[in-house]
Amino acid sequence: MKKVLSIGNALIAIVAGVLVLLGYLLPTLLGGLRQYLIQLAVTLTAFAVLLGIVNLASVHWKRATGPKGSLSNLYSAVLLLSLVLTILLVGISGPTGFWSIWLVSTFQIPVETSLLAVLAVVLLFAAARLLSRRLHWASLLFLGAAVIVLIGIAPLPYFGQFALLSSMRQWLSSVPAVAGARGLLLGVALGTIATGLRILMGADRPYGD
Amino acid sequence: MNLVLEFLNIILGFLLLGLALSLMIYFMIDEFNRSPGGTRRLRDIPAFHRFRRAVGLSVESGKRLHISLGRGGITELPGGATFEGLTILECCTRAASISDRPPVATSGDSITAVLSQDTLHAGYASLSAERRYTPTNGRLSGLTPLSYAAGVMPDIHDEQVSASVFAGHFGSEVGLLIEAGERTRGLTVAGSDSLSAQAVLYAAAQEPLVGEELYAGGAYLGAGAAHIASLRMQDILRWVVIGLILLGAILKLVGVWP
Repeated sequence: MKKVLSIGNALIAIVAGVLVLLGYLLPTLLGGLRQYLIQLAVTLTAFAVLLGIVNLASVHWKRATGPKGSLSNLYSAVLLLSLVLTILLVGISGPTGFWSIWLVSTFQIPVETSLLAVLAVVLLFAAARLLSRRLHWASLLFLGAAVIVLIGIAPLPYFGQFALLSSMRQWLSSVPAVAGARGLLLGVALGTIATGLRILMGADRPYGD
Repeated sequence: MNLVLEFLNIILGFLLLGLALSLMIYFMIDEFNRSPGGTRRLRDIPAFHRFRRAVGLSVESGKRLHISLGRGGITELPGGATFEGLTILECCTRAASISDRPPVATSGDSITAVLSQDTLHAGYASLSAERRYTPTNGRLSGLTPLSYAAGVMPDIHDEQVSASVFAGHFGSEVGLLIEAGERTRGLTVAGSDSLSAQAVLYAAAQEPLVGEELYAGGAYLGAGAAHIASLRMQDILRWVVIGLILLGAILKLVGVWP
C-alpha cells in the first residue's frame, strides 16, 4: 500500500510538473491548464499557511512549557500570547481595521526597522572580519569595490562628492558588476533547470517516499 | 516578425530542454554503469569538504546540525534553491541519524516547512528509524524576511548547534543569521540564489557558496547518481550558453542580428 501511494505521489507530481512546463512553451495549447494547476497550488499554499502557524505554535508551546528556566521559555510565552492577541484583534477589527493597522505600525514596523539597523552594524563587522579570515586578492577586490561604491554614492561632509570616485562607481556598477551578476544568474538558472529536471524525472522526491 | 520570434523562442526552449534531458539521462546511465568501487573525482569545493567533517564532529560531540531553508516558496522562481536545500537536509538527516540530537530545519515559508518535515520523515524512514522522527524539528520560523531572521536566531542559540547550513532563498537579512551561527563558534556554510544575499554571504559566512555551487550540494554530499549526472549536465550546458552568447555577440557585430 505504501509503495502504491509513493508511486501515485510521484506520478501526480511528474504529470503536473510536465504539464506546467509545457504550458510555458506552448501557451496557446496548454496555457489554460497551466493557469489552472498553478491556481490549485496557490489554494494549497493558503492551507499550508494554517499548518505553518499550528507548527509555529506547537514549537513554541513545547519550549514555553519545557523544563529549562531560561529566557527562551519567556520569549516563547510572549510569542504565543502575541499570536492569540493578534488573531483576536484582527478577527474583531478585520484585516484592514484600526487595530490590525495599529498592531503592524506599533510593533512589527519598529521591531523590523531596529533589526535592519542592527544588520548594518553586523555587515560592517563582517566586512572587517573578512580581512582576518580570508586575506587574498578576491576579498581585497570585494572590499575595495564596496568602499568605492559607498564613497562614490554619498557626498562626504566638507568635501562634497568626488567626481573621479563618482564616475568610477558608475563604471563599476554598470560594467563589471552587471557582467558578474549575469554570470552568477546564468549559473543559478542552470542549477534551477537541473533541480527541476531531477524532480520531473522522479529522481528527487521532496514530497516524501 | 513577432510571430517568427515567438516560434524561435518555443523551438529554442524545446531544444535546450531536450538537450538538458538527454544529457542527464546519458550521464545517469553512465553513473549506473560505473563499477561499484569506482568514485568520480569532483572539483574541490572546500565548503562541502569542511561540512562533511562538521557533520561527523557534531554526531561525536552530541550537538545538532541546523539547516536553514530560507524564505522562498516552491511556487516561485526561488524554488530551485529551496529544493536544493531540501536535498542537503535529507543528506544531513541520513548522516546524523545516529546522533542524540537530530538535525533541525527552519524555513520562512509554510509549504517549505511542510516539505522539510516530509524530508526529515523520509530520511528516517529510509533508515528504518521512523521512531526518531520529531515533527517539530522541521519548523516555520516567521513569514516575513526579518521575522524569519528573528525566529531563527534563538533557534541557533538554544539548540546547541555545531554547524549551520543556509541553503535557499534569502535577502540581506541572512547576515543576522550568519552572525548568530558565528556566535555559537560553529561552522557556517551558506549559499543562495539571490545576488544581494550572495554578496552578504561572501563577507559574512565562513564557507560561502558562490553562484551555482549551491546546486552542487547533492552531488558533493552523496545524494545519488542523479545529482552527479545533473552536475555534469550543468557543466556542458554552461559551455553551450557561453557559445550561444558569443555567437549572438558576433552576429550582432557583423550586423546579421537585428
